[in-house]
Amino acid sequence: MTSPRERLAARQAELLKALLAGGDAPAGFATDRLRIETNVLRNKRSRLVAFLRPDLAEALGDRFGALFREYAASNPKTDAIRARAYADAFGAWLVERGEVPKPRSRFGRWLRRN
Amino acid sequence: MVADGPGRLGIGIGWRHELDLSIARLPGVDWVEVVAENLHAGHLPETLLALRDRGMPVLPHAVSLSLGGAEPLDTARVEQLAEVTRELGAPMASDHVCFVRAGGLDSGHLLPVPRTREALDVLVDNVELTQSIVEVPFALENIAAVLEWPDAEFTEAEFLRELTDRTGCLLIVDVANLYANARNLGTDPERFLDEIPWERLAYTHVAGGVERDGVYHDTHAHPVLPEVLDLLRELRRRTEPPGVLLERDDDYPPDSELAAELAALREAVSP
Repeated sequence: MTSPRERLAARQAELLKALLAGGDAPAGFATDRLRIETNVLRNKRSRLVAFLRPDLAEALGDRFGALFREYAASNPKTDAIRARAYADAFGAWLVERGEVPKPRSRFGRWLRRN
Repeated sequence: MVADGPGRLGIGIGWRHELDLSIARLPGVDWVEVVAENLHAGHLPETLLALRDRGMPVLPHAVSLSLGGAEPLDTARVEQLAEVTRELGAPMASDHVCFVRAGGLDSGHLLPVPRTREALDVLVDNVELTQSIVEVPFALENIAAVLEWPDAEFTEAEFLRELTDRTGCLLIVDVANLYANARNLGTDPERFLDEIPWERLAYTHVAGGVERDGVYHDTHAHPVLPEVLDLLRELRRRTEPPGVLLERDDDYPPDSELAAELAALREAVSP
């Protein structure tokens, strides 16, 4: 037997998974609304990442948004990583993909933080 | 428990690091609200402490407690809010009717809760636990949503009335969010204003936004729309709000533009 609270927790988790991690649309939600919300959430996160790592925003210019959305689609932020560490992880992903060069000082900072 | 309000606040603005010098010299700023998660107890910004020491009310506003979330409340976040509230000497603290974490994911933005008895019970439990930790009256704000849960058992105003009746909490009514919901969800903001328990109003929020691809975005980065000011006037026809706060979070305009927006808010709520 699950409690009402556990049932709600499961429904909220299902919604967040649909919005951020490619999960199936939960019953009763309009798919166009889910898609709009996904965009709202990714754009909001994108602005925060750009604020925390202006060097990445500057290096990528117009490509920042699309690259971040690609990153976020397969790496949604979890509650186990802080916002700044998540922004740094995006930076590391960009370096790995060759989208931005690998500056030694930033890599050192990244290593110290992780 | 019935919470006293913060008393008469007047016209205020959301304090942001990028605006700190502007706020200190802007005419017509009676009080400020500050995002609690951007502060660290023991290390409050000098410019913010200067406002507090001038006797200006500085009210913390949280965005990450996830009070509508059904997972166990993260009381460490509430403790942090309580500490910041103490240090600011604030007469109240607040967050939103929403959830931001579930199943290990972090939305980073306010998501609506189902307006069901079940979700109300969870919210009430979380708010009561929060009230037991934060030593001042606690308020909750209505959010802007672009989606709704199926099977709502209450209107938004009924849901908020139940919440205030059961917890004694106060309300922050955001008229820009009412406008956003009317545009995006087709809700009726005047009905909300007719049904809300005004005796619980702590203050009201106003902000700018923009429409993109048929969706209104509550950006806090654009000028306040005339339609939102009209809703503030509609609110004023029903009650005299103890405070009105302008939220601006990005694309900061010159001081003169902020001063003009603050003056427009003052005009909209003047008797």
